[in-house]
Amino acid sequence: MSQRRLAFFLLAPALLLVAFTTIYPLIVSLWTSFHDYNLTRSLNMGPWIGVENYTEAFKYDPDFWKVMLVTATFVILDVGLTMLVALGLAVLLLRQGFGKTFLRTILILPFAMSPALIGISWRFMLNPDFGGFARTIGAILPFMRDVDYFANPYLAMGALVSSDVWHWSPYFCFMLMGGLASIPPETQEAARIDGASAWRVFRDVTLPQLKPVLVVAIILKSVFALKVFDAIVTMTSGGPGRETTTLGYFAYQIGFRDYQFGYAAALAYILTAIMFVLSLSYMRVAFRNAP
Amino acid sequence: MTDTPLPGTRPNTQDSSTPEQRRIRRLRRQRAMNTFEAAVMIVIIVLVLFPIGWMVATAFKSPAVVYQYTMWFEPTLENFRNIFSERWNIGKNILNSSIVAISVVIIATPLAVGAAYAFSRLMFPLKRTMFQWILLTQFIPAVAIVLPFYVMFRTLNLLDTYFALIIVNLSGVLPYAIWTIKGFIDAIPIEAEEAARIDGAGRFRVIWDIVVPMAWPGIMTAAIFCLILTWNEFLFGYLLTRQHAVPLPVGLISFVLERGTVWELVAATGIIITIPMFFFAMIIQRHFTKGMNLGAVR
Amino acid sequence: MANISFRGVTKRWGAFVGVHELHLEVADQEFLVLLGPSGCGKTTTMRMVAGLEDPSEGEIWIGEDVVNDMSPRERDVAMVFQNYGLYPHMTVRDNIGYPLKVRGTPKAEAKAMIQAAAEKVELVPFLDRKPAALSGGQRQRVALARSLVRTPRVFLMDEPLSNLDAKLRVTMRAELKHLHHELRVTTIYVTHDQMEAMTLATRVAVMNKGIIQQLDAPEVIYNDPANLFVAGFIGSPSMNLVEGRLENGGFHAGLIAVPGVGGGNRENIVLGIRPEDVTVGAPGSGQFDMEVYTVELTGESILVTARAGKTQLTAHADRHFRCEIGERVGMSFDVARTYLFDAKSEERIRL
Repeated sequence: MSQRRLAFFLLAPALLLVAFTTIYPLIVSLWTSFHDYNLTRSLNMGPWIGVENYTEAFKYDPDFWKVMLVTATFVILDVGLTMLVALGLAVLLLRQGFGKTFLRTILILPFAMSPALIGISWRFMLNPDFGGFARTIGAILPFMRDVDYFANPYLAMGALVSSDVWHWSPYFCFMLMGGLASIPPETQEAARIDGASAWRVFRDVTLPQLKPVLVVAIILKSVFALKVFDAIVTMTSGGPGRETTTLGYFAYQIGFRDYQFGYAAALAYILTAIMFVLSLSYMRVAFRNAP
Repeated sequence: MTDTPLPGTRPNTQDSSTPEQRRIRRLRRQRAMNTFEAAVMIVIIVLVLFPIGWMVATAFKSPAVVYQYTMWFEPTLENFRNIFSERWNIGKNILNSSIVAISVVIIATPLAVGAAYAFSRLMFPLKRTMFQWILLTQFIPAVAIVLPFYVMFRTLNLLDTYFALIIVNLSGVLPYAIWTIKGFIDAIPIEAEEAARIDGAGRFRVIWDIVVPMAWPGIMTAAIFCLILTWNEFLFGYLLTRQHAVPLPVGLISFVLERGTVWELVAATGIIITIPMFFFAMIIQRHFTKGMNLGAVR
Repeated sequence: MANISFRGVTKRWGAFVGVHELHLEVADQEFLVLLGPSGCGKTTTMRMVAGLEDPSEGEIWIGEDVVNDMSPRERDVAMVFQNYGLYPHMTVRDNIGYPLKVRGTPKAEAKAMIQAAAEKVELVPFLDRKPAALSGGQRQRVALARSLVRTPRVFLMDEPLSNLDAKLRVTMRAELKHLHHELRVTTIYVTHDQMEAMTLATRVAVMNKGIIQQLDAPEVIYNDPANLFVAGFIGSPSMNLVEGRLENGGFHAGLIAVPGVGGGNRENIVLGIRPEDVTVGAPGSGQFDMEVYTVELTGESILVTARAGKTQLTAHADRHFRCEIGERVGMSFDVARTYLFDAKSEERIRL
């Protein structure tokens, strides 16, 4: 059997499945986004209306820009904090010492937990009357006692971000550990002998060499942050108001609560476009030094 | 220590401390570092385990104790009996999730091994483009995919079926599996495969006898990863099922009632969702770092 | 057992030519060594026999068959890889037995054959180990046993000794030679090590840039190189090659003049002479004087490298000879042992 035929034989099932489950719906979504399609009025797709759904978002829907702001805030906070925590954990875990194996083992736990479950647990934990987090925080900071976390825009956003950081930090910690471990120790040893302090060694030698992995991690986490959905449903439902409604959740609400499929498809496509740009930059970084 | 230090080059010798004093200072600094590190470790361990521990405790609390901020209570299995009762019937959700997750893994893994082998070892036109394209699909937001599928499944009367859930879950999981397994196959020295071909094995026999056993850790990692992702999947299940095929995480929503959420049942169900995944995650933990970087950087 | 025949075989990757129009007949039972620097096309040539690479042009014959379109399985060859290519997840027994298993040899028969192969390479005590639990030399033996467990038509060996330490390499070399004598299977052996080539080969094919430069018995390759590349590649330390011209049969290069080389008058000449054919003595005692650049004691002899102007020569001196860096010495050539090459075509000029 020739290589091409074998390759075709091995690839065809996977490719067909991927094409059917991603490319096909993506095309249908695009098609839908150019139509008037409102399930409350008709079960069938309405007439072609061109880019009207998109102009609706950018020009007329005041919620859209609010949601974009919320999305940007969430992504920046979430990515920044996850990277800081993951990098700190990775540096800590790579040092030999007591309890490291134990910590490494339990770090897998948040990652193995369902984000929907984390979301609902956070709502429980932050209940001011009997929540483990809320009562502990209240005991340490008396002015935080009896605060309704999900009525306050900043606290609700904080709760959402913290749950996602809790869930994803271990994954990125392991990823950065791999990156740190592949840095030749001679470079750090040379810097130490050249007289650099531990912090300078980290900043001048370790971090620059970690950059490729770090960039990949940041882009990847941004994509994951844009995809966050489960925890919003089970924790904040996008509230208070629209304060924790990200673009993905907004598209879901328009589509599955208001049944405006055409508009929802357009919103989903705006999100897809943002993700696409991020993904392409990811590809460029990830494949830059690949064979 | 009789020679005069050159100015500026040996700052340590410019202070008047004796070697003994310096040794003590170094030890003291080291001990401070160790204490600091231990403190940080404890904080992290608490942050990781506290929510989990709280959930576990709640699952064993009787309804009256749930609403108290305490870790002292008489444990009861009542909540677990409750969720398996006819009223909540979480057993059905477990069955649903198991069927969907296991089907996805059984379909995705062999397909991914074949595709990964082709991408890793064979030459064919548009190889690089196809591979990047497959990776790109991982970044498509689920909302964009679920809308058309919702319409399609409604038309085909497939809403609320295992089939629908299996198909959409494969879309998320398959690219990841191909990616991970390819990384592991790339790392296998090609000589073993060539030797097997010269020893008389055909292409498929080489894959089965040589590639699969040698890439086994990678295949296991990918399979378990797919299992965890599918098992924990929420969005598709939330939007595409009503009552028949509702998976476990979506089942959590049913404890959110008009009169408030039944937290102790949420916690008990949470434990049931999480424990098998903890177990599986532990198995792949060793390969975790390795597999992830092969996947991420290549 | 079979002869192998390359008929106009070319291997190209895009614009890069790996092997260029190769014509080569390997006789039945011959031990042919492909020798050359890395990237010369020797491994590619062998992999085309194995069926791991497809030739771009030409035909490869094994015995009576054109094998171009045969899979490796159908070709009935055995190969030993540089990194051994062992199956890490199988025991030594299963590694050796894999060719039999794939071919469906009955279990009892296979067992006896594995035993015999393991005995031949002294691996019997290790049959139940995994390759990871073996030393480099033992792994090498497993690879060998796997290739000789069945009797293939052709043995292919791709630098099989290069991953062993120096001492083991010499022992294994001797064993390989003995095995070939015993089994008499046609063998193609790829190496960049000329000692291996010299000691093992019936014939050596010296390759460079995808072309066979010379195909001859080892002693001919050494004593009668066909061109400048073979002359420079074979021998350690390598042959002295000096650019110059011929005047009335005398060789002139910068400050050097050697009479009696022959060949009349000619420009653009490279004269080659092996270090052992250069004599070193007191200044003025030889054909010309040079200044010592470095002296290396090798134990059995002394290597003297000396310079005059831009010309540098290495000579094998008697091990009792003594001189210091910077001293002047007299040098002379054994003119009967000089080789002349055309500097442009790099071909040998025979007088």
